[in-house]
Amino acid sequence: MTPAAHMEPSVPSAVPGKGALALLRILVVAGEGGSAGSLLQNLRQWADDGRLEIDTAPDLPRAVRQLAGQRWDLVLAVLGEHPDDDLSWWVDTLRGATGSPRLIAVAQAPSMGLVLRAEKSGVLDVLSLPLRRDELVRALERLRSVASETAVPLPFVEPHAVGPYALVGQSPAMLDVYKLLARVAGSAATVLVQGESGTGKEVVARAIHINGPHTAGAFVAVNCAAIPENLLESELFGHEKGAFTGAVTRKIGRFEQAGGGTLFLDEIADMSLALQAKILRAVQEREIERVGGGETIPIDVRLIAATNRDLKDAIKQGRFREDLYYRLAVVTIRLPTLVERGDDLVLLTAYFVRQFAERYGKKTRAISDRALELLRAHAWVGNVRELRNVIERAVIVATDETLRAEHLPDELRGEETTLADRPQGGLLTLAEAEARHIAKVLAHTNGQIGAAAEILRIHRNTLTRKMKEYGL
Amino acid sequence: MTGPPPVRVEKALALMPELEALAPLRALLVSIARPDEATLWSSSGPYLTLGKRGVHPDELRRRMPQAFHRITEHLQALFKAYVEALECQQRADAPGVVAALLRAGRLEEDVGREPQARTWYEVALRVAEALQDRRPEVEVLRALGYIGLALGEYAAGARQFQRSLALAEAEFDQAGATAASEGLGDVALAQGQWGGAQAWYSRGLRLAEAAGDGPRAGRLERQLGVLARKQRDLGAAGDYLRRARERFEAAGLADEMASVLNEQGLLDAQLGRHTAASAAYREALAWAQRAPRDGRLELSIRLNLAELDLEAGRLLEAEAELRRAEQVAIGGHLIRRLAQIYTLMGRLRGAQGDETGFVFFEQAIELAKAVEHSVATEAQVYHAYGVFRSRLGQQDEARAYLERARELFDSLGEAVERDRVEAELRALSA
Repeated sequence: MTPAAHMEPSVPSAVPGKGALALLRILVVAGEGGSAGSLLQNLRQWADDGRLEIDTAPDLPRAVRQLAGQRWDLVLAVLGEHPDDDLSWWVDTLRGATGSPRLIAVAQAPSMGLVLRAEKSGVLDVLSLPLRRDELVRALERLRSVASETAVPLPFVEPHAVGPYALVGQSPAMLDVYKLLARVAGSAATVLVQGESGTGKEVVARAIHINGPHTAGAFVAVNCAAIPENLLESELFGHEKGAFTGAVTRKIGRFEQAGGGTLFLDEIADMSLALQAKILRAVQEREIERVGGGETIPIDVRLIAATNRDLKDAIKQGRFREDLYYRLAVVTIRLPTLVERGDDLVLLTAYFVRQFAERYGKKTRAISDRALELLRAHAWVGNVRELRNVIERAVIVATDETLRAEHLPDELRGEETTLADRPQGGLLTLAEAEARHIAKVLAHTNGQIGAAAEILRIHRNTLTRKMKEYGL
Repeated sequence: MTGPPPVRVEKALALMPELEALAPLRALLVSIARPDEATLWSSSGPYLTLGKRGVHPDELRRRMPQAFHRITEHLQALFKAYVEALECQQRADAPGVVAALLRAGRLEEDVGREPQARTWYEVALRVAEALQDRRPEVEVLRALGYIGLALGEYAAGARQFQRSLALAEAEFDQAGATAASEGLGDVALAQGQWGGAQAWYSRGLRLAEAAGDGPRAGRLERQLGVLARKQRDLGAAGDYLRRARERFEAAGLADEMASVLNEQGLLDAQLGRHTAASAAYREALAWAQRAPRDGRLELSIRLNLAELDLEAGRLLEAEAELRRAEQVAIGGHLIRRLAQIYTLMGRLRGAQGDETGFVFFEQAIELAKAVEHSVATEAQVYHAYGVFRSRLGQQDEARAYLERARELFDSLGEAVERDRVEAELRALSA
């Protein structure tokens, strides 16, 4: 079941567009009540080698007008008294601007927190006032170097079609999945698919359905975590008219809809214990009752369940029924993360680029070296789903044959930190390293100071003080 | 991540009784609730609503002083306004008493407590009615008119504006008469009475121009633009909005600029000029950033931008904008607007043929009933829910929801929306 991949011929060898541009178009925007005059003067005096075209706007609203009318490569904006707020507005504004111009933010004594937030938002650089020549020149050099990207041909990928979905990948981890999938599909056994978010659990479930004995029947998917708990039971088992407020008509539940086919229960760990008991009964007895109905209805469905949680751990904590676990996990398929799949990332990228280019009528068929580097470097929390999302957005905004770094979301572009440009050869000061690490841990704990302090093994007051110190 | 998992908002709110004293705690809980990163990328991530966000009791405890601070600040301002009213009373300065009581009412309105504001205004009215100078009474009646409008009590609102106008005219209070005319136009517009709205706004505009009141004239021109757009006289709408924009830009009124550009975006969208509409909304957002912080205005612009993307089939952009709007609403204590956001999210899922999108309508209905207490919003949600079910081929459920929407619009005396629902029901039967 290995999808084939080969190189597609005749892709452009150089990226047209920005790389060929000799002229950089820069919009300089003064802060609230300020003037763009001195910035303009600095820019002209220090950096204009005849390849800059510079214009000014007095404030954000007027800048928006100018950005809507023409394509700009860079906005040099002075942040006001509330630099964090101003930065968010600028990032939001540039998100919708023609040609995805980059932002250099200029602020009075920018905090470490502001710099980190700017990096995360894809801001090219944060410069402090008064401007220094070397910093400004280096930021512009970065913009020019960013503009020179080389196109990399994308391999042609022949996926295993699973309806509108596809299984793509040749990594050893995925080959193991294909083998297990082939063995289990032919039987009617209940399957538990485990894997992190976005690893393709539903695609695998569909593949099992299509290649299994229930393929003539429907494939019905229910996301147990998406549906409010008070509605999930009637969604699964159906209800009779008037069974509860809002039961305006009789409803056939998903178990019945999947009759003769496959019922896919996604995110099963999010179900309440009471409902787990009802699922157990349905699995054991092969019959259900609609909510508000007394009739017992026999069911003939293949059940596939999926979760991104550790069910054994949930059993230990009393949040998941052990008997149900063993009923569901007759066969368990564990899906690898995107990181574990190595070069599958390139195949998946190629597949998605082709899929979305067709969908949106685009000519995109190559990717730049820099864009690919950014994709490889990203920590894919959302795995293949996140990659698919990123590529879809990129294809939508791409205007020519090559998908470039500028088409990628701010979060990915922000990962090209300014480290390489540092005079010390990319080395951080102790404070910078500490601030970055604290920010990383806080992101991990969703901003929970107590949990972050626990991980960092410092008192929460110390952490709060450091956060204040670094402006995090 | 270490430590116990967060408690879901739906469960947290279920533990909190519906007591007014707990409203600030409820608002705080909602504002600090967030999805964890793993949930965002899980298959239920696209269906994430307020109820599925998580909250840590520890964080709630830690943030409680902020809530207390806000409550104290509000109470201090209210008490101060009352003491000022007493001082004015002591000095026999009755107009001063009215002004102080009005100030207190406005403070209540600013935090979304319209019924409480009305109580302050009613006290102010009693004082104002005893005055020889009727201008304070004109002002109080106008404030009461806007409360009626905000609470969907259109007839009561119209009565207050009428009284305000009659008094203003008797007192030769041109500014008062202009403002009352604007209020009457707003009530008529809200009820879909286009002719009445046209007459009141035009009258107000004539008065404002005669008095050289540029900002007021701009507001009335903007409203005439809104009205012309609703009547599909798009050329006239464009002219009115352009004139309003020129007035506001000359006066440097950032909030009014944001508001008129938001309306310009709606007009451009109706004209099918999606790029122009998008540019207008983006500029509106930029002006909103310069204006005194008003989350409601920002939210309104973002919702229009999302709807534009939705209509144009740019579903990814629509979803991103809706998520930003959701964040503005949750972070900015504007959870009343969440019902509208989730209705649009449901419509978005409907456009994708995604049945699970029903979860957004269910959440929106719950919010409209329990948080917003707005029959109009509930009716709008049922209308959209009916259309969603109809598109999925679930005709019986679609009919039930549309009939519920019709019933609710009937109870409000809302004719325009009711007719739209009726048309959907006819299409369903055809």
